[in-house]
Amino acid sequence: MIAHILNLGRRGCDVLEALGRSGLFLAQSAVGVPSREGWYLWLRQMHFVGVLSIAIVLVSGLFIGMVLALQGYTILVDFGAEQALGQMVALSLLRELSPVVAALLFAGRAGSALTAEIGLMKATEQLTSMEMIGVDPLRRVVAPRLWAGFVALPLLTIGFSVIGIYGGYLVGVEWLGVFEGSYWGGMQSSVAFIGDVGNGMIKSMVFALVVTWIAVFQGYDLVPTAEGISRATTRTVVYSSLAVLGLDFVLTAVMFGGFS
Amino acid sequence: MKRSKTMELGVGLFMLAGILGLLFLGLRVSGLTFNMPGDTFRLEANFANIGSLKPRARVTMSGVTVGRVTAIELDRDWYDARVILELDAELEGRLARDTTAAILTAGLLGEQYIGLTVGGDPEMLVDGDTIRDTQSALVLEELIQQFVSNMVSD
Amino acid sequence: MIESPLVEVKGLHFSRGEKTIFSGVELQIPRGRITAIMGPSGTGKTTLLKLIGGQLTPDVGRVLIDGQDVHGLSRKALFTLRRRMGMLFQSGALFSDLSVFENVAFPLRVHTELPEAMIRDLVLMKLQAVGLRGARELMPSELSGGMARRVALARAIALDPDLVLYDEPFVGQDPISKGVLVQLIKTLNDALGLTSVVVSHDIPEALSIADYVYVIADGQVMAQGTPASLDVDEDRRVSQFVHGEPDGPVPFHYPAPEYFRDILDLEGRP
Repeated sequence: MIAHILNLGRRGCDVLEALGRSGLFLAQSAVGVPSREGWYLWLRQMHFVGVLSIAIVLVSGLFIGMVLALQGYTILVDFGAEQALGQMVALSLLRELSPVVAALLFAGRAGSALTAEIGLMKATEQLTSMEMIGVDPLRRVVAPRLWAGFVALPLLTIGFSVIGIYGGYLVGVEWLGVFEGSYWGGMQSSVAFIGDVGNGMIKSMVFALVVTWIAVFQGYDLVPTAEGISRATTRTVVYSSLAVLGLDFVLTAVMFGGFS
Repeated sequence: MKRSKTMELGVGLFMLAGILGLLFLGLRVSGLTFNMPGDTFRLEANFANIGSLKPRARVTMSGVTVGRVTAIELDRDWYDARVILELDAELEGRLARDTTAAILTAGLLGEQYIGLTVGGDPEMLVDGDTIRDTQSALVLEELIQQFVSNMVSD
Repeated sequence: MIESPLVEVKGLHFSRGEKTIFSGVELQIPRGRITAIMGPSGTGKTTLLKLIGGQLTPDVGRVLIDGQDVHGLSRKALFTLRRRMGMLFQSGALFSDLSVFENVAFPLRVHTELPEAMIRDLVLMKLQAVGLRGARELMPSELSGGMARRVALARAIALDPDLVLYDEPFVGQDPISKGVLVQLIKTLNDALGLTSVVVSHDIPEALSIADYVYVIADGQVMAQGTPASLDVDEDRRVSQFVHGEPDGPVPFHYPAPEYFRDILDLEGRP
């Protein structure tokens, strides 16, 4: 019995210690004087985590918008309220689906790649040799990736929403014959720019920070072997997905739950 | 450091697309407008009951959107709702003084909006005028109450 | 020794978790010479280099480089000191996203404000010294292991350091690349007046270029001397290592119960 409690205590300390370490890590990486060199490093990571993720995000967004319109239509038509389709598609995308699904896709596509890349740099001693040359790898390697992720995911989320709303338009208006004016009109009168688009963006930024942070920290902190890299990559995807879904509930409760 | 033009271009286009997407979400999806003050004119209308009309609701004529509700406030002299409308500047001086404003509902459960119907008065409404002839929102409970009291009195 | 040694390691104790790696190591690395640090695998030779480079901190003991206590320095001073050190890693550790040219130019760009033309000249000189001037446009993934190590060597000497640390430079190399690396370490040391520390367990190669040798085992310096004196050392442990005998004080068998009793399962174990 005592042994179990001891064990639990030790686990707790380990978790706290890891949290502290990753917090310090985040603080040390995020600060730094941006230079022209740093700007260019950031640009390269933007290409890697942002531009290369566009295809998967847009394709998923299109399908999700189409499915939303299809499902929404079959339910709304029973109440004679198919004019509300545009509003339903837009609100579900902007408030929930775009930030969450884009973040999950981002964790799988870019987060795991970031972990593997940094892990490989650690395993091949590139990080150590950088330190020996007198360059801080937190600034040089980690910071550009952190900032690129932080900027790229909200942009991807915007793309997801836009193409999802367009997918809903294709299915709802072009295929199922909802009146075009009420699709856009219903949307315009019920979507608030600050309240819905803005809050969705805030969610997306929080997710971006958390997912990229988890990804780079797992890469930096892993055991530098082939097995360690594969484990850390899995951990990145699992931890970031859980963190995104959990945080989404908290943020939704604060933003839309009427506690304000 | 070797710089790749295609990569810089890619990131540039990505960020531009993101900003354009945000514009789309703002203008087309949430219906923000960047109209200059000169492009619109204001009218006021008092309603006995606005139902669930909200700011930014549409103002239509014959189903065509011609403006928006910008503000709703309680008129403390008459204790009814004063609704401020912003209409296309093109309509200034072309709406008759006896134009009616009614609060309508899109579909059974849809959002509420204001429908304008032109009258025949030779004098025209200009900026800051008030629409006198208004028709309040239908409130379901009131309808039922009326129906029931009619039944009882019969 | 007339001059003071460049690197002094005094009473070094280091442990990782429960495992003690060093218990009282004393080293003196003379200036302008090649010092080899040898020992069986797993004795923490790489750890020793990391302690010298200030990446790890000892539990007890001091490392002095040119009289400065490496672990007493501020972070900034440590980074300044590291500019006077070059380190060649076991895997080469070239930056995989930069070309050969950019890899060698990296320390120059970071630490100097030299104009581009001068950086180009310096990089080409360093690459010429390792015989890879023609490979400057290649990416690290396109290089063979031996070439990668030569590029890494060019990078390690880019800032003309006083001290170069070599971590297992000969591991996994074919005889030709080994020969090339041995030659390079020797030539660079003599031509540039460097102090070199070579950590290795490739005995013939290390002994052929070293001026002085330390053999480390069980967390301590087991033997030291010139290559010639070690070759005839009486100590069984030293001669086992130097001559590569399979059995001796370092046993061939992992500790186990007596063979026949184990086979016949007399101990009653699985």
